[in-house]
Formats: sequence, structure tokens, C-alpha cells
Amino acid sequence: MTAITYLDAISQAIREEMRRDEAVFLLGEDVGTYGGAFKVSAGFLEEFGPERVIDTPMSEAAIIGSAVGAALMGMRPIAEMQYIDFITCGFDQIINMASKMYWRVGMPVPMVIRGPSGGGTKGGPFHSASPEAWFFHTPGVKVVVPSTTYDAKGLLKASIRDNNPVLFLEHKLLYRHPELRAELPEEDYIVPLGKAVIRREGEDMTMLTYGAMVYQCLMAAKVLEEEDDLEAEVVDLRSLTPLDRETIMESVKHTNKVLIVHEDTLTGGIGAELAAILAEELFEYLDGPITRVAAPDTPFPYAPPLEAAFLPNAEKILSAARKLAAY
Amino acid sequence: MPTPVKMPRLGESVAEGTIGSWLKKEGDWVERDESLAEIITDKINAELPSPVEGRLVKILVQADETVAVGTDIALIEAEVGGDVTSAPETAPAFGEREEVPEADKRTPVAAGPSNVATGRGNGAAASTLPRRREEERQRISPLARRLAREHDLDLNAIPGTGAGGRVRKEDILAYIAQREAAPVAAPTAPAARPSLPEAPALAPTPLVPYVPGEDEEMLTPSRMRLAIAEHMVRSKRTSPHATAIVEVDMTNIAKWLEKNKEEFKRRNGYSISYVPFVIKAVCEGIRQFPLLNSTWTPDNKIVIKKRINMGLAVATDEGLVVPTIYDADQYTLAGLSKQIASLAQKARTKKLTLQDMQNSTFVVNNTGTFGTIISVPIINQPHAGILSMNAVVKRPVVIEDDAIAVRSMMYLCLSFDHRILDGAGSGGFLKVVREKLESYEREIDVY
Repeated sequence: MTAITYLDAISQAIREEMRRDEAVFLLGEDVGTYGGAFKVSAGFLEEFGPERVIDTPMSEAAIIGSAVGAALMGMRPIAEMQYIDFITCGFDQIINMASKMYWRVGMPVPMVIRGPSGGGTKGGPFHSASPEAWFFHTPGVKVVVPSTTYDAKGLLKASIRDNNPVLFLEHKLLYRHPELRAELPEEDYIVPLGKAVIRREGEDMTMLTYGAMVYQCLMAAKVLEEEDDLEAEVVDLRSLTPLDRETIMESVKHTNKVLIVHEDTLTGGIGAELAAILAEELFEYLDGPITRVAAPDTPFPYAPPLEAAFLPNAEKILSAARKLAAY
Repeated sequence: MPTPVKMPRLGESVAEGTIGSWLKKEGDWVERDESLAEIITDKINAELPSPVEGRLVKILVQADETVAVGTDIALIEAEVGGDVTSAPETAPAFGEREEVPEADKRTPVAAGPSNVATGRGNGAAASTLPRRREEERQRISPLARRLAREHDLDLNAIPGTGAGGRVRKEDILAYIAQREAAPVAAPTAPAARPSLPEAPALAPTPLVPYVPGEDEEMLTPSRMRLAIAEHMVRSKRTSPHATAIVEVDMTNIAKWLEKNKEEFKRRNGYSISYVPFVIKAVCEGIRQFPLLNSTWTPDNKIVIKKRINMGLAVATDEGLVVPTIYDADQYTLAGLSKQIASLAQKARTKKLTLQDMQNSTFVVNNTGTFGTIISVPIINQPHAGILSMNAVVKRPVVIEDDAIAVRSMMYLCLSFDHRILDGAGSGGFLKVVREKLESYEREIDVY
């Protein structure tokens, strides 16, 4: 058994699901002949043929719209966004069609929209997006954000088997990260949607985070332990919708202080909703203000120094955590 | 809706204050930040600025009365329009607890739009009711508030260790743990008045007052003397003091001062002495040994202060005060001299402000002015250390090549909190200080 990357895990999940279920198929720009912009579907065309690995025109509205139609007809499409930034071109198909169809006509829409999100690759304003908040706000769409190789495979399989539209946000910085290489189980497995996981236990504060920020939080937590004698608990949410309220609540009841960290911009982000839930339900368990670390409210910058200043990182998390601890 | 004016905390270890005099009368109109009263404490006298604009409707604490920090001393009524003289009568009596009858009036939800408008007006009135006593403590986390309620604790009795003195989880838990331990010592009074670690550390008041004999004269210590006494006892009880002493060759600095002192004063209007040189060297020492600029917290953490705010012990007629030179490491020798001259002048004319008296992180004390050659200082809580400098005296000293020379020598005595650091750290710090002082050549650029 060899250690594989986060990207390989995604590829494996799709391949295994396509072998398992004939209704599963892949469509998107350059997914066939070219094997996908990031080579997720390399070799798929040869194995599954052009009817199940479909190169589409350059129109996200057409890709997602076709997927919605196919799903309504009983298929389980996986629509690839070359970069997740372009999902906005298919926004109407997600918001007005995919998410509402079951509630309008009682027909499920089992489809996955997946693609590379996140910054840190000097990709500039059109290749760095973290678009989760738009869809987090939309009833009827599930939003999944894997941070590890094991989860990438298990969560994607669970998403493909789910009967709802699922937005699956891969972080491109993690795709080939050598430290994320992992040996995965030979047998078929899934990671259920809606279950958070505690990546590190602690009692002085809870860090609620997801995606690539999990690693920045873990780095900050390590420094807090070594330099400040503080134990931070790091909760990886994994699914934003549905949200694992139970794990979140239990952790916060235990630590009484909360730091929310996300790469997306601050206002109206996932952190805003988490803060509102905690303020409503756990007010009298809080020993300090619910604190957020997120990107500032500007478009994603291109210049490398600006990108570095824009993105949340362990240092920013550390300074917020210290302030919260001292409160 | 009168705003209560509270006795301010004028200094970190000050627990009470006396109204020296009221500068405004009941019925007077005061602007925001206009001086209301003169406050006298152990450490400083200060004028109290009004927290709001309005009419001083009630003086609750008269001149010469002493009350605890946080006590309401006056009420100020913001003008709501209408008849000014009737304002005090219409305001709800402070501290009066009413059920909220407005709430009942608002209950019929089906009421028409006109009633909705009335309800809103009543809502505004309801919000002006005085807060409950248990909420007097302003800085407290929601969790701590709930825990205090569950354990039936008086929040005002619990010292807070969070930012700005906020009461938080660990404070409540520590208080409960202590309360549980307390009945063992005093089983007859279970948890009635648990003694706090911060409680004044003076010896228990003797039941029988001391009667002086014919050959004795009894003095009643001033408030400042009492405060110093309390602080000294508390410091010795809090920090295990250890003292290390180094000898420093001050010859080059002494010669420079001898030659340039007069000219410096003529040119700048203030004097220069050995003190700024020592402060500068101490800052250098702290930079290399930041633990000297730290504090041991009640919950057993060490907090290193990033700013070096140098406390400077200044003798006044009433006793010792320790005003602060903020960011002492940012000044030149001349800049430090100016700060020292200014603070000493303010101390002697009782013009020190609250800001001058707070936030020091280390203290330098020059007992050398009284001719001492060695002095063992007591730490100014909650610091990690204190350095006393002594008289610079000429001594025969063995120098290079075993020659004997007459040099200007000085002992520096460092008392440090042995909980925070050991001989190695304190010795290392003193070595840096000594080497810095001995590094000056014949010509010194003080600007």
C-alpha cells in the first residue's frame, strides 16, 4: 500500500464510485481528453468512455444546468469547476434549480459540484476564491470542506451517494502537499456528512475551523502550548451544511472560549453564523468574546505581499488567541 | 435617569479614596470632563472629571469622607428637557427596586397601533431602572456571572485577573476552592467572609489599643505611610526576595559628569546625574533578560511585559512615591534626564497624575543620594525585581596588570522574585548592566 496525495484520494473516490454505480458520471471543462486541469480525472476517459466522462463547452451554467437535469432523470452527476471561482457563472442553476427542486416537485437532485478553492498560490482575484458562504446561506445545498486525504476520499464518496446537491470544496494548496500523503484503507469507506472531528484536544479555548486553515490553527495551537502553556482544542468542521452542532457545543461548553478561523472574508462568513449560534445557545458558557480570524473584506489581491497580508495564518491566529486567553 | 459618579481607582493598590472637597454644588450644571471634586488617596491627589454632561443632582459622599473604590459618590442627571428643577423628583430613587409595571401594560399583544407606540415609550422608561446590585461589577464574563449565581457568590468580593480586572472562569473557581478550604481554619464562620489573597497584609489589629508609656510618643501614620506599610508587608509575603550585588566602575561617567554637568544644566535647564545612565543600562539588561520585566500572576503564570516602563523611586516629605517613565528604553540619556527632572518636580509639588503613578514594570531606586553604599530594596509589587543604586565612592581598585588605581566605584543591588528567576538569570542581567555602564569612554554623547 502506498501513501497517496489529497488529489489522488479525490481521483480514487470518483473512480471507485463510477465503477460501483453506473449512474455516476463526470462532466466539466477538459475533464476528458486532458484529464482535468489538475489531473483529477487522468485516465478516466480510457476507462469509462466519452459518455461518462464528458468534455463540456466553457459554460458553467451549461455544466451545472445539465447536471441538474441529469440528476432529475436519475443520474448522479459530478460537475467539475476548473476553478471554483467560476461557479458564479452557474449560480442561478444552483440557487434556483438544484437547491429548490425537491421542495417544488418532490424530486431529489443527487449531484456533486466540486473544484479547487482557496488561495495561497498567487492565483489572484479569479483563481483563489473561498465561496462557501454564498451556498452555506442557501437552504437545500450541502457544503463539504475536507482537510485531510482520508476525509477527501471518504467525504467525496458520501457526497456522491447523498441525494441532495452537494458543493464539495477542495483546497488547491492541499492537492499535492507532501505532508498530507497518507495510506488509505483498501476497503470501501465513507466519512459521513455533518460530522466534525476534533483534530487536537485542549481545554483553554476552542478553535472552530475547516479546510486548509485547520493546519494554521494546529500550528498556532502548538506555539500556544509551548510558549503560553495554553491548550487549544482544534475542531475541524468538515461539513458546513449540515453543521455538527453537537460537537461544536460540547467543545465550547468544555473550553468556554471560542476562536473561529476561516480563509474566506469576514463579513457574513461562516464565522458570523457560528458566532450567532453560540451567542444564542451558549451565552452563559462563554468566558470571553467569540472571536473571529478571517480575511479582510476586500477582493482577493494578486500581489504576493498583499496576498500574504490578506490570508489568515498561524501568526494572526496566535495573536487573537492570546488576546482571547487574557480576556 | 441619573448617572452615578463612582470613586475612581487612583493607582493599582489603592482601595479607597477621600473626597478632599467638592468643586461643584448640588444643582450645578457640569460639562463632561469638568472637574467635580478633589480626591485624596494614599498616593496622589487628583481632580475627578465628570463622566457625563448634566446637572449634579445629589452629592452622596461629603468632603473628608473616605469610601471604597467604586462607591457611588454623586448623581448626575442628564437634562431631558422640560422643567429643570423638577428633574430630581421625577427621577426614580436610586437603588429603589420596582417590579416593572410597564411590562404588564404591554402584555395585550392585540392592542392597536396607538398602544404599540405607548408600549415603546414604556420600554424606554423600563430600561432606565437601576441595575441590580449583583450587576454592579462591570467587567465579568457571561460564564463567570452564571457560575457566581449558581454558587451564590457576591461578584464584588471576587478579585478579577482578566484584562482590565475582569472576573472570569478561573477567578470564580479559585474563589470557590479557597472558600472550601477556608472553613477548616475557621469552622465557626463557614464561608461568611473568606479571606482573599489580596487582603491587606497588615498585622491583625490588636484588640487592645496600644497605650504609650510616659517616655514614649505615639504617632498616627499618614495615609501614605499606612499604604507604604501595607505594600511592604504584602511584597515580602508575596515574593521570596533574593538579592544580588555587583560592583561597577563608574570612573568614566563620574569624570564626564564632573566636567559637563554645569554646562548640561545651563544648556537644557535640567540636571543630569548617574540615574539616567543606570536606567539606560537596566533597559539594556531587560532587553537581554526579559524575565526581569515580568510579573508572577495570582494564577501562577509569568507575564512578560513588552514595554519597559521604569518606575523611579522619589522621596517626598510624606514618604516614597514611584512615578513611571513610560518606554524608558526609547530615550537618550538627555531625554531620560528630562523625564526624571519632570517627574521629581511633579512628585515634590504633588502634581503627579494617575497616569504617572501606573503601569511601571521595574523600579530603579537611588539610595546613593543618602550616602548608602549597599542597600537591599523590597520589590514594588507586582514586579519581578528592583535595583537600588548606591553612592559612587573612590576606592583603591586592582586593575589590569595587578596595578592599584583610584577608581569611582558603585554597588548595584538587585532584589528579585525568586519564583520567577534564579541566580543565573539575575547574575546575567547584572553583568549586562555593569558592562553597559563600564562601556562608556571619556567622551559621552548623551543626546
